[in-house]
Amino acid sequence: MSEQKTSKELLNELLETHYDNAMKVQSEGKLLAWCTSISPQELLETMDIYAVYPENHAAAIGARKQAPDFINYSESNGYSSDLCSYARVNLAYMDILQSEAGNIPRPDLIFCCSNICNTVLKWYENISKELNIPLIVFDTPFNHQYEVNDQCTQYIKGQLLEAIGKLEQITGRKFDHDRFREVMKISSETSKWWKKASLEAAAKPSPLNGFELFNYMAAIVCARGTVAGRDLYKLWYEELRDKAAKGLGPWKDEDEKYRVMWDGIACWPYLGLTYKTLKKYGINMVTSTYPDSWYIVYDVDDLDGMARCYSSNYVNRNLSFGADNIVDIVNKFSLDGIVFHSNRSCKLMDFRQFEIQRQVEARTGVPSIIFDGDQTDPRAFNPSQFENRIQALVEMMESRR
Amino acid sequence: MNGINDKINELKAISQNPGQSVAQAIKDTGKKAVGCFPIYTPDEVVYALGLLPVGMWGGPSKGNKSSKYLQTFCCSIMKANTEQALGGDYDMLSAVIVTSFCDTLKCIIEDWKIAVPHLNIVPIVYPQNRKSNSGKTYFKAELKRVADELAEITDTSYTDESLAAAVDLYDEYRRTLQDFVKSVAEKPGLITPLERHHVVKAGYFIDKKDYVPKVKALTEDIRAAEVPSDRQGLNPIVISGIIGEPDGLLEVFDECGFTVVGDDLAQESRQFRTIAPNVGDGFDRMVERIAMQDGCAFLYDEEKRRGRMIVDLAKETGAVGVIFNQLKFCDPEEFDWPLVKKEFNAAELPYLYIETEQQMDSLEQVRTSIQTFGELL
Amino acid sequence: MPERAYMGIDIGSSSSKAVIIDRDAAIRGEHIINLGTGSRGPADAIAKAFEQAGITKVDRTVATGYGRILFKEADKQITEISCHARGVKQLVPTAETVVDIGGQDAKVIRVKPDGRVENFVMNDKCAAGTGRFLEVMSRVLGVGIDQLSELADKGKPGVNISSTCTVFAESEVISQLSSGSSIEDVALGAHRSIAERIVGLAGRVGIEDDVVMTGGVALNDSVVQAVEDVSGHKITRLKDPQGMGAFGAALYARDLDN
Repeated sequence: MSEQKTSKELLNELLETHYDNAMKVQSEGKLLAWCTSISPQELLETMDIYAVYPENHAAAIGARKQAPDFINYSESNGYSSDLCSYARVNLAYMDILQSEAGNIPRPDLIFCCSNICNTVLKWYENISKELNIPLIVFDTPFNHQYEVNDQCTQYIKGQLLEAIGKLEQITGRKFDHDRFREVMKISSETSKWWKKASLEAAAKPSPLNGFELFNYMAAIVCARGTVAGRDLYKLWYEELRDKAAKGLGPWKDEDEKYRVMWDGIACWPYLGLTYKTLKKYGINMVTSTYPDSWYIVYDVDDLDGMARCYSSNYVNRNLSFGADNIVDIVNKFSLDGIVFHSNRSCKLMDFRQFEIQRQVEARTGVPSIIFDGDQTDPRAFNPSQFENRIQALVEMMESRR
Repeated sequence: MNGINDKINELKAISQNPGQSVAQAIKDTGKKAVGCFPIYTPDEVVYALGLLPVGMWGGPSKGNKSSKYLQTFCCSIMKANTEQALGGDYDMLSAVIVTSFCDTLKCIIEDWKIAVPHLNIVPIVYPQNRKSNSGKTYFKAELKRVADELAEITDTSYTDESLAAAVDLYDEYRRTLQDFVKSVAEKPGLITPLERHHVVKAGYFIDKKDYVPKVKALTEDIRAAEVPSDRQGLNPIVISGIIGEPDGLLEVFDECGFTVVGDDLAQESRQFRTIAPNVGDGFDRMVERIAMQDGCAFLYDEEKRRGRMIVDLAKETGAVGVIFNQLKFCDPEEFDWPLVKKEFNAAELPYLYIETEQQMDSLEQVRTSIQTFGELL
Repeated sequence: MPERAYMGIDIGSSSSKAVIIDRDAAIRGEHIINLGTGSRGPADAIAKAFEQAGITKVDRTVATGYGRILFKEADKQITEISCHARGVKQLVPTAETVVDIGGQDAKVIRVKPDGRVENFVMNDKCAAGTGRFLEVMSRVLGVGIDQLSELADKGKPGVNISSTCTVFAESEVISQLSSGSSIEDVALGAHRSIAERIVGLAGRVGIEDDVVMTGGVALNDSVVQAVEDVSGHKITRLKDPQGMGAFGAALYARDLDN
């Protein structure tokens, strides 16, 4: 019976269906797009174009510890080992098309939004050229001012409208504005439930172990515009709310001693190891910078609002916002410490991290550590360094009590 | 030949001593100087405000002050710039325009706002959808925002006429350099790769109005000169990448029998190979110029023309091969390489890929690679 | 005493090797000294090689290796990449690919039928994939570098040294050891790691049979085996893998006489 299912079961089902359908839709005459993780999927959903997310897929390959096969292939083709490992995995997958983490077919078009980095522009520019398929770029200028300014909003809105024209051309179908309104509504609702669920972790102890957040993230990326996605996050919220009401913590066999946030992307190949290392010291990672990244909420029919939202995720905002954001998280979630992932793949996050760490420490007094790692390339992470730094964090957190 | 040497030495002295050259230019022109970051900046706007645009493409600095802000895997030009900013080398500048063409640059802007606020950081974001209407409208607004911000910081102003005159001057500067590099290719071996580099680079540190006549005179002399017999028969090549530095690198080119007849460097030809079309006002011309600027790693190019453009350049200039000088940790360039390489292979154009940083303790491995490239040609 | 004599001298950072050949490319004298550029190593190596060949002068000399530029007595200086390719092609006419792993550099060279270089690729500045990596490994494992191969022979596969950074790899090894892996298993893992890097590098120019391995690391049977396993190509080895630079240089010196 479907109403008895847990959100975990729904999540797994949803992801399984997502990948199964991906392999089927093209033979049914549907187009399939590869998309960056925070792109205006509303347009694709409206046009009935199937969206898959190479970042999700690369993360899954990383979690299966299969990334080196793909990375070596890309590097043999001339891609530098200093480039983003998601890109190195995906640029190889484009040729190999076979992984233990499930498969996605080659795309008919690409949806690329630069709000997560400029790296995706280069990555997909290459794929578009190699596969000779259309690439639709949503360029969201980095916000050096605190808020998204008017000219940026108008530019992004203009690109949304231009994209609609291109999609009409590619599919030969008219854009259905009624359907668009519906999708906009669902997408915003899904985002709200996602955020509400993650906020339950503010309870002490937190009902949520934040590594679950990493798992649940897969669906906010790929099912934000769907009813199934919305219902999943609503259910997840209810489960966490009930758990919090009962005063239940993240683990059955261990008490939550310290509460930290994780800054940056997970180390997928070492997800288990990083989780266990933290747990060993009673550290619960209650939140990260993920929940807000997919909080894309705007009024139906408000294209200006939609444009601003897609440029407002924290990696596309200035350092003052980044620091304010983390200070806010520290307070909201009653954090004892912060774990910063200096992610070899993500220069956009890394090269602000030292200053953000200083500012957050100065403003909150909460201790933090930075460790070296990578989102998918296992060669850039060192378990003993990680544990060493976590121990140091525990000592600092302890001395503040 | 003596005339050529004198002219080159004058420009080389300007290029090799940026600090001194800029101080002198400030004194000579009475203008305030504004720093301009890689890859592209609206220098015309700076000029129209009666200010002196000054290039900021790294330098020899290798200290450790920048490690307060940057991990080790940051590109060496940005590390050097940060080092020099923290060391006070840029204090003579009234403002600095920092661009955001890559993820590293986005962070540099943010770090600098905090680390060196007295440098008056003015960020600018060029559009990637630079050929579409929405992109052009945005870019024009962004250029105006930058013009207004700079005007306020430096207490200056511009008019439509001063902007149009600045765009004219910059087009003349670009044509002059196009002609200069053409003359070098016509007389391969006459001047060394390092000399060629310094002639181009000198333009970053003095007023373009004073620079243009110097390069024109030099170009004329080059056309009139003969290549000495001991400088003939060198391997003509094209160089691609961000920058032809450190100086030792181009010296190795010369020692290994190479002469540069064309370049696709961000610091050199990419600055001047596209001329503004004559449409609309000064801002429009700047907007349209960037819309036309293809084959650059930092500007979204849906057709990925770069490889083909380099192959064509090699054909035009009679180059026997290409040296792709990859600046370590430069993502956009690193992403271009595999596709550029495919075009070289398809065209059967010999190439050498080397990876360098702007400051290097040892060039021995690079020398071995370059010499071998000469041996295999 | 040969009628005409040609010398190749390979001056590295820590060793100097001289080879003297005759008109038929037969080696008449050779000597290696573990002193590199800037020392009396080159002069001593030459003196010994002269002695062995029974001559007091050669007709042509080509210098190679990192110290080649400072060696002013040479008629010509040619890179070790060209020299390795040439030397290998002389001894193994079917060779198409040369994998040369030295102390500082790793190179994969594609060779033309005439022994000249068609294309090549070198490691980046990171030491992974070079002999230097093995030096660090042997120090951490507390054995001589020449014992690594024998040690790895007794190892079981499964230990994975994945870090590309030598500093990281060092602590990875330490934690492997402290979690109970034997030094034999770790040595095997380290060799596998080098092989992965080399094969990755080779992918950039392509590997074609026959593949010949040169350089000091080619003396390590276990690394050679690992490269074979990872690449799927049979590796040919030479009796004197370290001497190819000087031998190739001597062949080029002979060319100068024609």
